Amino acid sequence: MVVYSFYIFDRHTECIYTRRWTPRPGSSSGKSMRPQSGSSITSNGENVPTTRKALSKEDDAKLIFGLVFSLRNMVQKLGGEDDSFLSYRTGEYKLHYYETPTRIKFVMLTDTKQNNLRVALHQIWVNLYVEYVVKNPLSPVEHPGGIGVANELFERGLDSFVTTVFPS
Amino acid sequence: MVVFALFIISKAGGLIYNREFHTGLTKLTSNDYLMLAGSFHGMHAITKQLCPVPPVPANPASTAPSLAPSPFASRPSGLEVLESTHFRMQCFQTLTGVKFLLFTEPQQPNIDAMMRRIYELYSDFVMKNPFYTVEMPIRCEKFDRGLDGFVKVRS
Repeated sequence: MVVYSFYIFDRHTECIYTRRWTPRPGSSSGKSMRPQSGSSITSNGENVPTTRKALSKEDDAKLIFGLVFSLRNMVQKLGGEDDSFLSYRTGEYKLHYYETPTRIKFVMLTDTKQNNLRVALHQIWVNLYVEYVVKNPLSPVEHPGGIGVANELFERGLDSFVTTVFPS
Repeated sequence: MVVFALFIISKAGGLIYNREFHTGLTKLTSNDYLMLAGSFHGMHAITKQLCPVPPVPANPASTAPSLAPSPFASRPSGLEVLESTHFRMQCFQTLTGVKFLLFTEPQQPNIDAMMRRIYELYSDFVMKNPFYTVEMPIRCEKFDRGLDGFVKVRS
């Protein structure tokens, strides 16, 4: 079981927390790999990573937000107002989605074999986000730019949650 | 077993076929369906981009430059299954870029087999129809009837 990344978006469409557990293809490790495979740059397998390289971390978060937002709207349009988007799967990864009544969105990317993680994301909200971020007297009510979300208790809690729920 | 609807989206993102088998999804205007198909086309492309899995190192076969590169090897697939509380959407993209979207109940088994059968019907009755223009809306009676028979037998 692999967890790739985890995002929290607030109700102002801003990404207030990002966490990654594996290096992305676009990161520095991906770049250092390219010269080694220089002989095969013209071969087709390289095409896709080249186009993906340009994406930075922030771009990724924006892309994910736009995507889940549109998918959520599409699902509500087709399934009615009380329908909610749960997850989607591609050949490579699976994206899980949970939205709280206050419009905070939790997104987690895992491998494709995971079952639905709605419950796990709900747990993260109840046991970690509410406990360590909302109830923190020093953190602001809103979190512009992610202020107050990435505190030590929350990060540590998230880490231990992920390692216990998804033993690798 | 309930199959709600089938959409076919051309490789350019246009809705070329839209068929409802069973009520359950909200009825939309045909304009809304077209918009939905177009935006889904874009979202499908984004899901391809987001792939968090490190790329597989270049395979040993690529050391032989004489081999014609296959355009379909190691390309990340876009969205395949979308789940919501009310329905499940299976998306099948053919090698030519046509997308089949099948809306079913969340617990529907064997969607892959159904999809293959629908693709077969499409190849037989749409692609082999001499009066059909590629990328245009599908109006083939035999395809309609084939789908009807197939879905009715199933449900």
